[in-house]
Amino acid sequence: MPVDAEKEITRLWKALHSAQDEIGKTYYRWRQVALEFAGDDVKSLDVALRAAEVFGKDIGKSILPRMNWLKGEEGFMMILGKTLAGLWITDGGLATVEKGEDPGEIFIKCTRDPWPTWAKEFGVPMEEVAICRERMYQSILEDVSVFMNIPLKIELQKAIPRGHGETVMRLYKAE
Amino acid sequence: MAKTIFKWDYSDYPGAKIYPHLFKPIQIGNLIIPNRIKYTATEENLNGLDGFVTDQGAAYLGERAKGVVGGLCFMQGVYMDEARMGQGYVGQAAAWDDKFIPGLKRLADAIHDARAVAGIQLMDCGRVGAVDVEYGHGPSAVPQRLRIFRPMKEMSKDEIKEMIQQHIDAAKRGVEAGFDVMEISGIVGYLVSNFVSGYTNRRTDEYGGDIRGRMQAVVEIIQGVKTVIPEDMPLGIRLCSEELLDDVRGNTPEESMESYKIAEEAGVDYISCTLGWQESIYPVISRDIPMGNWIHLAKRAKEHVSVPVSMAYRLFKPGLPNEKIGAGELDIWEMCRPMIADPLMPKKVLEGKEEEIRHCVACNLCLARLFRDAPMTCYINPICAHEANPEFAAPPPAEEEKEIMIVGAGPAGLECAYVAAQRGHEVHIYDKRDEIGGTLNEARHAPYGDDELWTCVEYQKVMCEKAGVNFHLGTEVTEEVIEDEMPDSVVLATGSVYSKLEVPGGDSDKIVYLADVMSGKAEVGEKVVVWGNRKPGIGCALHLAKQGKKVTLAGKDKTAGFDVNPSFKWRYMIYMRQNGIVAYNDCEIVEIDDAGIVVKTYDGYQWPIKCDTIVLADREPNESLKKAVQSEGIELFVVGDALIPRNLSSAVHDGYRIGMRI
Repeated sequence: MPVDAEKEITRLWKALHSAQDEIGKTYYRWRQVALEFAGDDVKSLDVALRAAEVFGKDIGKSILPRMNWLKGEEGFMMILGKTLAGLWITDGGLATVEKGEDPGEIFIKCTRDPWPTWAKEFGVPMEEVAICRERMYQSILEDVSVFMNIPLKIELQKAIPRGHGETVMRLYKAE
Repeated sequence: MAKTIFKWDYSDYPGAKIYPHLFKPIQIGNLIIPNRIKYTATEENLNGLDGFVTDQGAAYLGERAKGVVGGLCFMQGVYMDEARMGQGYVGQAAAWDDKFIPGLKRLADAIHDARAVAGIQLMDCGRVGAVDVEYGHGPSAVPQRLRIFRPMKEMSKDEIKEMIQQHIDAAKRGVEAGFDVMEISGIVGYLVSNFVSGYTNRRTDEYGGDIRGRMQAVVEIIQGVKTVIPEDMPLGIRLCSEELLDDVRGNTPEESMESYKIAEEAGVDYISCTLGWQESIYPVISRDIPMGNWIHLAKRAKEHVSVPVSMAYRLFKPGLPNEKIGAGELDIWEMCRPMIADPLMPKKVLEGKEEEIRHCVACNLCLARLFRDAPMTCYINPICAHEANPEFAAPPPAEEEKEIMIVGAGPAGLECAYVAAQRGHEVHIYDKRDEIGGTLNEARHAPYGDDELWTCVEYQKVMCEKAGVNFHLGTEVTEEVIEDEMPDSVVLATGSVYSKLEVPGGDSDKIVYLADVMSGKAEVGEKVVVWGNRKPGIGCALHLAKQGKKVTLAGKDKTAGFDVNPSFKWRYMIYMRQNGIVAYNDCEIVEIDDAGIVVKTYDGYQWPIKCDTIVLADREPNESLKKAVQSEGIELFVVGDALIPRNLSSAVHDGYRIGMRI
């Protein structure tokens, strides 16, 4: 075979990392433009949270076709958890999903998060990163909750601002 | 005393002896229908964007009315709100004002002209409506699963009352327009089904809750409409017997049957048994679903209600519905796609001319077009939606009778042959094979229902024989043959040839042709690359994967199945996944060696793919005789794959159009 496998794989990695970079950069560029439009009187965190909501809402719509109750509540929650973890993985993170004690409870754990790095590049306060991630996921779940007629919640339980250690989110069915 | 609109006596017709149950009368409400055939309400996007009926729409329906030979013929569902939230198709007919009555009357008259029973359907498209406005309306604002549909707004109680009144007002207009039967549409995700389903109706007021609450709006529509239609005008409803929405917690089959009972209690005179929503993840009517797959649902429906039950859904041939009606498991044979493909289908059954039926191939191109705001067309019937154009619908005799040589007896050549012969030409069709059908002989061996494509050739063969076409099979046309015969016109229907791979290793003995693989002539190893990612390549890849081979599909097109309409393509994508077929699209082969091939993607990446066999499915026009014909100064036409390699539909449409022009 005339294919130089190492060269081809290196090129693919570069392309993947560029694409992942663009995800973060697009979000923060969006935030930056929104801040400029909003003017000086607005808190940057409010704008960032709004940006997270808009992103989350759109992502939520795109995952509706994959929602499936055929495996019951436990199966559904696991699929949803994996979908949310998958978003992190697509961004370049390392994320896993674990069942909680309750059948309607899932923990999403991220041990490598690229978002703080992107945030730093755009001069965004580190505190904003985890809060916006939580808001984005909450927004994703808005349409999913209505669509499946299940009150879904997600909350940040643990966050390491600079992306080291572990970030933990709890996905659960609200009573 | 029940009313009879037109008297029909079928006793002398051969079809009535073969299928006696199809051609016996039935009483629906206080109306006698002469037979058990119904052309069901079908959107065709042939009306004006303002909802007014057009000549095309009237002519389209008039043809189908002839086909039901005295049975039920329904116009498409009308939307009923001026705000157009209920409009699901750009060319959907409207009935929200009296100004639409004259147009509706044209349709009723067109049906009556054929001595058939005229039906009108009331159809608010609900969740799949609002084709041209910002929001759709429904019992609850459940987000759309498919982004092509509009966001939803929850209806207030006043809006529900208004919607019910719109049904009643539209029903009055239908009566005034002269229709004989009234029908409410409650299927596939339209508004009535949105109210019935637990998936889309989350209300807690009297219009929601359990199935009885979710049926409340439907009950009020039925009871309201009953007050404005004559006693001898039956009222029917189309309702889901199974929504196939288990994955989003839709209704259970028990709830669906309960909805049937409630509709009957409310006063409907018949129920049309349907299944599936546009949002269902299961296929219902595509070619991969065997004929008669759903007929048991009609039987179950009859066990729950005493009013007549009708059903369509992959009942393309008369035998099964006849049998089921005889067994008391069905009352009326409904159809739309079979009569899109052949408007006169039941008439031909009655007249004992079944071999002249152009059968639907369940490709769903018709639906794919409607959902994309395009006028109805049919994969297999070139006349569809051209009924108003007499030159197209019934091509006039040729001004000058010619001797025509058609080279290639595939679908394009055969279609052209009988149309030209019917117009008075002397037609000779040649093929180097000993059989007709061209590459469809091989293509029909692809799995998931492709054998049904062969019905096209069977139809064309009969039509050619009846039109007096002269067959010269086993005869290869060469320059000498053309010189000897010197016809007035030549139609090249020579199909395509497989594109050679002009790359290092392109002459490898691993390379075989798709046709040889499909016919079993070629030896194929265990690891196969099919080169060419259009429909023939997909069919071949699935055929080989079914034999347990590891198959990779690769091709130049950006997506696999570029030539397959979206309403069927999703089936192929799922089957490819299920059969473990890996696809590399938007790429080219750069080298072939002992280990396999190397493909290069559009953006420059190179992939080695191990294989022991390469199947060529990529095609180019076979133009071998073009120059020979042109050099003799003979009038030349090129049709089908010989023009541009495409699909069966293009072959048939090309053939018909040239046949009517020569």
